[in-house]
Amino acid sequence: MYKWLDERLDLTGLYQKVLRKAFPVHHSFFLGEITLFAFVVLVLTGIFLTLNFEPSIREVKLPDGRTVPAAYASVLYIDSLPFGAVIRSLHHWSAHVMIAAAFLHMLRILLTGAYKKPRELNYLVGLALLGLAVVTAFTGYALPYDNYAVTATRIGYGIANSVPWIGGTLAQVMFGGEFPGSPHSIPRLFSLHVLWLPLLLMALIGGHLAIMVKQKHTQPRYAEKVAPGKILGVPMYPQQMVMMVILFALYVGIMTIIAGAFLAHPIEAFGPPTPNTPAVKPDWYFLWIYGILQLIPSSWEFHVFGATIGPEFIGGAVVPGILALIGLLLPFVDTRKDKMRYLELPSEHPVRTSVILALLVFFLMSTLAGYKIDFQQKGYLLGNNAVLWTLVLGGPLLTFFLSYTLMRIFYGKREEEKAL
Amino acid sequence: MDEREIRLRTSRRRLFLKTAIGTGIGLSLVSAFYVGASLRPKQEVTPDKEPLKPGDILVYAQGGGEPKPIRPEELKPGDPFLLAYPMDPKTKVVKSGEAKNTVLVVRYPPEELAPEVASHGVEGIVAFSAVCTHLGCIISQWVGDKKAGLCPCHGGVYDFAQGARIIAGPPPRPVPQLPLKVEDGVLVAAGEFLGEVGVKAEAGFCRHV
Repeated sequence: MYKWLDERLDLTGLYQKVLRKAFPVHHSFFLGEITLFAFVVLVLTGIFLTLNFEPSIREVKLPDGRTVPAAYASVLYIDSLPFGAVIRSLHHWSAHVMIAAAFLHMLRILLTGAYKKPRELNYLVGLALLGLAVVTAFTGYALPYDNYAVTATRIGYGIANSVPWIGGTLAQVMFGGEFPGSPHSIPRLFSLHVLWLPLLLMALIGGHLAIMVKQKHTQPRYAEKVAPGKILGVPMYPQQMVMMVILFALYVGIMTIIAGAFLAHPIEAFGPPTPNTPAVKPDWYFLWIYGILQLIPSSWEFHVFGATIGPEFIGGAVVPGILALIGLLLPFVDTRKDKMRYLELPSEHPVRTSVILALLVFFLMSTLAGYKIDFQQKGYLLGNNAVLWTLVLGGPLLTFFLSYTLMRIFYGKREEEKAL
Repeated sequence: MDEREIRLRTSRRRLFLKTAIGTGIGLSLVSAFYVGASLRPKQEVTPDKEPLKPGDILVYAQGGGEPKPIRPEELKPGDPFLLAYPMDPKTKVVKSGEAKNTVLVVRYPPEELAPEVASHGVEGIVAFSAVCTHLGCIISQWVGDKKAGLCPCHGGVYDFAQGARIIAGPPPRPVPQLPLKVEDGVLVAAGEFLGEVGVKAEAGFCRHV
């Protein structure tokens, strides 16, 4: 059998060329794999969901007599199927994990300088993947069409609408008309969420992996001592494959338990959309933007060339945009001449490491600001805008100086010793 | 440059082919843009999506069943505001299909109202658009101690007695007021909203009519 296939497909050649590819081993190298596994689970659970979901807001009657949008009714139906609610919850949870793992994967790349030559291009593809994953998650949010999801998506519509000059068109194209209200918006978001954005994600993931195989991994430092100039690691088949299968099985097992124990987005509890806005919070990866939106006062409004640049545009698009731009430009600012083979240690690059830590503190502090309303209602000091502004701006600055000084104290000496 | 290359450069057949290909690409792009313009959906106005008109009766937004008009005596000063939709007086269609039609109705003791605000109300009852000007959520919570409305999305607080002045949060401008009158014992819109409703939309370059 093997011989028959080998004669026709040259399996031995494939084995020697591809399957013997060496994978360097380090626990932080599994973050990208977890992102991929989460995506695989998202596709599989997503197939189940699309087979039962009805992308429409026409009114239908439920068995109990209530009239609700068809999308909402079909998600109730999905929840009533055997394991339906668990699969939907697993889909939601996997979206969280995919974005979290992709973010941590990016942090690993940033901390070890792996975005430098020759991997600038793959770093950019990775950034695009992270952005696309977040957009895909957002377009899926409104689909159950419950009161909570509609309110949260409405905020996204408002942000898109506030983009100067092109905002109106952008929002109408993305959301298929006014959201909520337009009968075209759920079909539009549905097709973006289940067809076009996943296709784009798959293409980019394929490219990301192909470039990675072509350029080879960066390796931990010890590889330089053990086998200089070579890739030190386990072969793709069988060792790496076994690890991946185990990791995938673990991922599915653990996430199914979590998804079953903590059902995500209980639409029965949220109810169909009503004019009564619930107190919504976006998912955690938007919470920092949500916090900034609450911090920026109404007076921040400018008029430029007939367009209005309002607080909602500054908070929702300018601040994240600046961060994205910094990310995009990074590999062209922080460069090196030779091709990078081995990981850089975070301790050897105190400025870069401190900036990353400061950014993390910025995210944490603006996430904290996302709870401003809750703090205000409880009368905490944190409900105060000035206090929050101090934390959001002062926290990262303090972190930077603290971490830079500490790293200089602890690691600075070693460099001097080396120089001697 | 050899002879062959020179001949190719001056060849009229090449020129013809290039022009033909260029024109083809150009025309297909133009037609693609024409098709692509419909990515922006057509506006279809059904009766429940008509904008609010003067003379519309205000009905309770909550609770299904028969539309219930709001009577002035059902509102007490100091009570939380009510959310309402306009109803066409002739066809009895509740215009709830358009979020921008959501109205909030609240009663203050008349002496607490700014004169300008009171002049558009009836016996201390005033109505405003309920669509937050920040990002378009519905202002749905009542802050009792401030006698103001809170948008739970990003914490915008509006003091309706002072013309929906913003006393906290990020909204860029007040929500517009809706003039009221009483006809046959129920609240009726006496005019259009006194300003733009909802988030200020940036004008698109191709608006469908």
